[in-house]
Amino acid sequence: MSEADERALRGAVGPTSRRIMFNHLAILMSLLTAWEVGVRTGTLDALFFPLPTDILAGFWRLYVVQGNVWSHLGLTMMEVSIGFLAGSALGIGLAVVVGLVEPLRRYMKPYVIITEATPRIAIGPVIIAAFGFGWTSKVAIVMLVCFFAPFVNTLNGMVNVDDDELDMMRSMRASKLQIFRKLMIPDAMPEIMGGLRLAMASALGGALVAEFIAANAGMGVLINQYTGVLNMASAFVCVLTLTAIGFFILRFMEAVDRWLVFWGDRARTEAVSRRRASAWARREEGRT
Amino acid sequence: MTVAELRPTGTASADLPVIAARGVTKTFGDGRVVALEGADFDVRPGEFISLVGPSGCGKSTLLRIVAGLLGSSAGSLSVHGEKVTGPRHDVAMMFQKPTLLAWRTAIENVLLPTEIAGRVTDKDRRRAMDLLELTGLKDFAFSFPSQLSGGMQQRVALARLLQTGADILLLDEPFGALDEFTREHLNVELMRIVGEVGATTLFVTHNIGEAIFLADRVFVMTPRPGRLAKIVDVPFARPRSPELQLTPDFNQLVAEVRTTLGAVA
Ligand SMILES: Nc1ncnc2c1ncn2[C@@H]1O[C@H](COP(=O)(O)OP(=O)(O)OP(=O)(O)O)[C@@H](O)[C@H]1O
Ligand SMILES: [Mg+2]
Repeated sequence: MSEADERALRGAVGPTSRRIMFNHLAILMSLLTAWEVGVRTGTLDALFFPLPTDILAGFWRLYVVQGNVWSHLGLTMMEVSIGFLAGSALGIGLAVVVGLVEPLRRYMKPYVIITEATPRIAIGPVIIAAFGFGWTSKVAIVMLVCFFAPFVNTLNGMVNVDDDELDMMRSMRASKLQIFRKLMIPDAMPEIMGGLRLAMASALGGALVAEFIAANAGMGVLINQYTGVLNMASAFVCVLTLTAIGFFILRFMEAVDRWLVFWGDRARTEAVSRRRASAWARREEGRT
Repeated sequence: MTVAELRPTGTASADLPVIAARGVTKTFGDGRVVALEGADFDVRPGEFISLVGPSGCGKSTLLRIVAGLLGSSAGSLSVHGEKVTGPRHDVAMMFQKPTLLAWRTAIENVLLPTEIAGRVTDKDRRRAMDLLELTGLKDFAFSFPSQLSGGMQQRVALARLLQTGADILLLDEPFGALDEFTREHLNVELMRIVGEVGATTLFVTHNIGEAIFLADRVFVMTPRPGRLAKIVDVPFARPRSPELQLTPDFNQLVAEVRTTLGAVA
């Protein structure tokens, strides 16, 4: 075989990105077709495997014809957003206070360990008993779920500041506030973001479990209702909706992470470096 | 850029010692570890002092006391005639690690001391850029530390040290973590730069040859307890070229310091 032939052959099978996309689609379509055929021939139990075409029809029915998903989805997302924001803000805030005040750090520790060792969901019913069946109890549970990862990570990040870097700041006569703002917070940023990503990943699950325990509205309730009447296609629609939302949330957090902690990523570092250089040049121009 | 513009803004006067130590002692752990015992010395304006000695002889401790980062247990230490009670604006320190902030470009790192002291003006920015040029990094002003080699990072740290405007520079093994070629090169650069800006310098090193090559006087220290065992005058004229290290006179000084270290340790 000549070299040219070899190259041609490699080109033909070579994994171009369009080809990979096509393969993925082909595999997915065959799986779905197999599923559809399996259910129609009775090989797969229709109770657990609703027809893919039924699920597709379900999306149309739930979102457009009945339009009943929206309010449940809105409620769950509200619980997730408020719970996540409040819980992680509380976690980061408390960690900052504890990180800055040495005695607090010592005496807080046992309580943090005990609370961290307690399965969060076990407290769920207690919280619902205290806050009622409405959305406030769900927000409280999501807050609880979202509190610990940011708290622990922020505290770690703040405590692990390099001694020489601290001395460097002190030798420049930096105030406590300056050391905090210019050294400790940016230094802890990668860990804080890691904590936020963990929290965000568990926020949605936390809200759903809370709604499973006891609630009168929300995606968890909707899923419970549909599975209760064995309307599996509709239940699948809800689950797939949550899958999509979870996917976008994770992608979003990744993007925020890359944006905030740009120095952890080579390409981003180069981009920011170029941007700072041109900002400097613009300033120079403006002055002359 | 004129050299005069980069001169430190401190308050040196020709006759007064810039640093005066009288019996400076530091103990750790309720007096069980004597890190530094009875250090007595004067440093004159513009002098380059090398501190040399084995690990644990109190070099860093002494530097940190002069920097005001650490209080002494006994004795007195004054800078420009004033008792040291904490970090001062006319004393700046550089560490073995570059201690650059990863989220700041080189020039932003150089500007950190100015930012901490107050507002950053266009004049400060120009000065920072001039200092990066002086340390050979003008083309890397907007690079982040992760984009720079170890040697380049230490040059940024050196520019930052000079940006403080301090007229007393404390360097704790600043190039100790670098390979020998880079270190030798940076030593020569350092000597040129502090000579140009006329700063008083305390320079810590493990390396006897390096200590002598750079210094006007070498403080030889010995461990357990940390002591200033001997002060060796280095008579060689400046500017010095690296070939100086091959001369018999130079090697005789090396031998003298080595004997002191061997005899007392
Ligand atoms: N914070 C501290 N607590 C307890 N002991 C300390 C502390 N700092 C220094 N020491 C002790 O003081 C002595 C002198 O330490 P120092 O760091 O000044 O030595 P050095 O000459 O700088 O050594 P090296 O060349 O290894 O850097 C050592 O025995 C060290 O263990
Ligand atoms: Mg040391």
